[in-house]
Amino acid sequence: MTDLPASPLVALLVGVPIAFALVSLFFRTEGRARTGLLGSLGTTALAFPAILEVARKGTVIHLLGGWAPPLGILLRLDPLAAVFIGMTALVGGVISLYAWWYFRKEATAGGTSALFWPLWLFLWAGLNGLFLSNDLFNLFVTIEVVGICAVALAVLSGKAASLIAGLRYLLAAIAGSMGYLFGVALLYGSTGTLDITLLGAALTPGPATTFALIVMTLGLMIKTACFPLHFWLPPAHAAALPPVSALLSALVVKGTFYILLRLWTEVFGVSLTFAAGQLIGVAGAVAVLWGSWQALMQDRLKLIVAHSSVAQLGYLLMVFPLIVLAPGVAAESANWLSPAWTAAVYQVMAHGFAKASFFLSAGIIVIALGHDRKSSLRDLVARLPMTAMAIAVAGVSLIGLPPSGGFFAKWMLLKGIFMSEQWWWAPAVLGGSFLTAGYVFMILRLAFAPAEAGQPVRPVPKALQVCALVLAIGSFLIVLPADHIIQFLESTAPFATGVETYPEGGRHGND
Amino acid sequence: MSLWIDSLLAVLAVFLAVRCLLAPTLPQCVFLFFAFGLTLALAWARLGAVDVAIAEAAIAAGFLGVLLIDALRDFSRSRSTGEGGDRPSRVSQGLVGAGVLVFLVVAIEAVWRVPNGGGLTALAADNLPQSGVDHPVTAVLLNYRSYDTWLEVGVVLMALLALFATGGREYFCRPVVRAVDPLLRQVILLFTPVLFLVGAFLLYLGKTEPGGAFQAAVLWGAGGILLHLGGWPVFASMAPWLRHLLLTAGFGFFLLLGFLFMAGGGALFEYPLAQAGLLILVVETLAALSIAAALTAIFAYFNGMSAESAEPFTPASS
Repeated sequence: MTDLPASPLVALLVGVPIAFALVSLFFRTEGRARTGLLGSLGTTALAFPAILEVARKGTVIHLLGGWAPPLGILLRLDPLAAVFIGMTALVGGVISLYAWWYFRKEATAGGTSALFWPLWLFLWAGLNGLFLSNDLFNLFVTIEVVGICAVALAVLSGKAASLIAGLRYLLAAIAGSMGYLFGVALLYGSTGTLDITLLGAALTPGPATTFALIVMTLGLMIKTACFPLHFWLPPAHAAALPPVSALLSALVVKGTFYILLRLWTEVFGVSLTFAAGQLIGVAGAVAVLWGSWQALMQDRLKLIVAHSSVAQLGYLLMVFPLIVLAPGVAAESANWLSPAWTAAVYQVMAHGFAKASFFLSAGIIVIALGHDRKSSLRDLVARLPMTAMAIAVAGVSLIGLPPSGGFFAKWMLLKGIFMSEQWWWAPAVLGGSFLTAGYVFMILRLAFAPAEAGQPVRPVPKALQVCALVLAIGSFLIVLPADHIIQFLESTAPFATGVETYPEGGRHGND
Repeated sequence: MSLWIDSLLAVLAVFLAVRCLLAPTLPQCVFLFFAFGLTLALAWARLGAVDVAIAEAAIAAGFLGVLLIDALRDFSRSRSTGEGGDRPSRVSQGLVGAGVLVFLVVAIEAVWRVPNGGGLTALAADNLPQSGVDHPVTAVLLNYRSYDTWLEVGVVLMALLALFATGGREYFCRPVVRAVDPLLRQVILLFTPVLFLVGAFLLYLGKTEPGGAFQAAVLWGAGGILLHLGGWPVFASMAPWLRHLLLTAGFGFFLLLGFLFMAGGGALFEYPLAQAGLLILVVETLAALSIAAALTAIFAYFNGMSAESAEPFTPASS
């Protein structure tokens, strides 16, 4: 790993947003927003040369402090990390533009909304650092950075509901981090290294490894809001300010999913069993059905959207049973690995774009009508045509209708399911789509229904509506370069790698 | 003899932790938490990790204790608003207890069976001549893994921003003026320079012996808190730009230095060997200063929270 080409761009992806955040702290409201927006756009712009570098040279690395692992920390920018960083850059960039107009409009004098910018840039640096890190302890530090900033952003509105939800979020996040850290300590004790690549080669099966696998997976599942550990997500995401809800749902929860994916494929190969993959798949399938059903039952738009996140994250978990192969199946012969990984990457991107758009639209409706109860959706098509359009387009992607990114993700997931002959997952995928269609069509039906008389509509800046629509359309446009993206990803592991398992008593046998 | 001390500490730590969790009133809980923190510090010292022991005693028992007592005072004031929430039923308590017990047994079993991986102690010692410092812990924190330390210094700042977010304001309130005992004020005046010197000593000691930025920061922070309590809110009444400079100096200078050497063709946080010792000392000093400022700020902010109507030092007008 250390003989790969080095690139300073890798370190800049973390350093630049932090530098802007620190400078922004010295300014008051107006100057801070300007520095913050500049930093956000700079961080977005930085992602492009970084991705080009990977496209040209393949995986690039950065040895921090000039020390090679196991003593030092290695940052590695491979195609998978590049795609996550690119998605964060695009979605984060548009959310930043929205936030700029949103906070100008709000201009809450004396409030803490000016804290949005430094916190968001710190969070962004944390996410980039997380995608780049190849070191288990450093990953813990990055999830701490992301976690503390995410909680702080979630309570920014200052309302009692957001504080209560924020406290719950904080406790869940700390519990998750502690579980993860416990596992890291066990792994370091067993192997004497924290580097993911070295660890994957040195780890031997045994009770300590199995226990580390369990506590780290549970810890990360809490932070990713996986069923049944999702309790903190709907209130926290629904009570936050609109740009914050968007970035929490679209970006933050994807970070810990990414670690989970890396750990399962690159570290824990020796300890995984087919049953473990099936178990996590069940959690995903239940999340898809339960989350969508709950979304259908809500009567506030932001709660519908937040519960829908629980469901959409469930699809991501359903990739694990496909990646963890049945005993005796060789990774070379498993031709469903590529569709399964494509489904994971596309679900992350499609949900990122569509969900961010949905939350931004919900924010626009709250500005226009003062609340987000179902009645606020009435006659949306005439009142806020552009927002109605954004909701319809993003909703189609969430359901998974062609030719959206959501369709591509779910189609690939079904393809993987049938190719691996694990047909029992198919009903959950389809059922989830039907339930999602249920709440999206319910929203659209209201959007065409006549409004109750005497409800004034406050003007909403056009720029806000454009941001939401751009993200919604983005969830369709990501399908166009699909061939290139898959080719780019397929050039390196872990994309399209599977975890081979052994029957009990073979290489795996505990004790 | 040492076996007796170790077993006593082990039993005491578990006993205090259980008592702390089951304590019927909040004050008891807080003081048991103190005692637990100190026992843990002793245990760390017995394990030979003096740096961790100092940090544990200073932060977990000292600083957290001060914050908890301050919070306790607010609780006792607003007691009339209602006593706690509804208690969980015996069945659910029993279920949770059984679950925790099973988890503990499995966890202990797993820890017991950790194969000895050797760790990186030997490797860290072998590379000491290239690190610019003579103490392996300092070499790990400020050279081999300086990236982690840099982000952790940032986390302290982010925690302060998170506190601003929950408190709903970004400025410090004038402390509630209470009659301060003149004797107390004299003692504080006497103690502040001593704390500062001991902190500086710990910081410099980090080059060769256990000690370093975090330990020094807690002592300096304690000095700031004492001054605040004695009626000299030095930090809270500072000009905002100076306050921000103090808070961001550690995190910012660390990064600036990293960028500078990266522009010269190295990696982020890669120091040339000839200057490594000096640069690490400067970075540590600024980091200690920033952490001390953040700790003082957290206390001052909390302290101001109890007096909602207190006027701010700097009006929030933009």
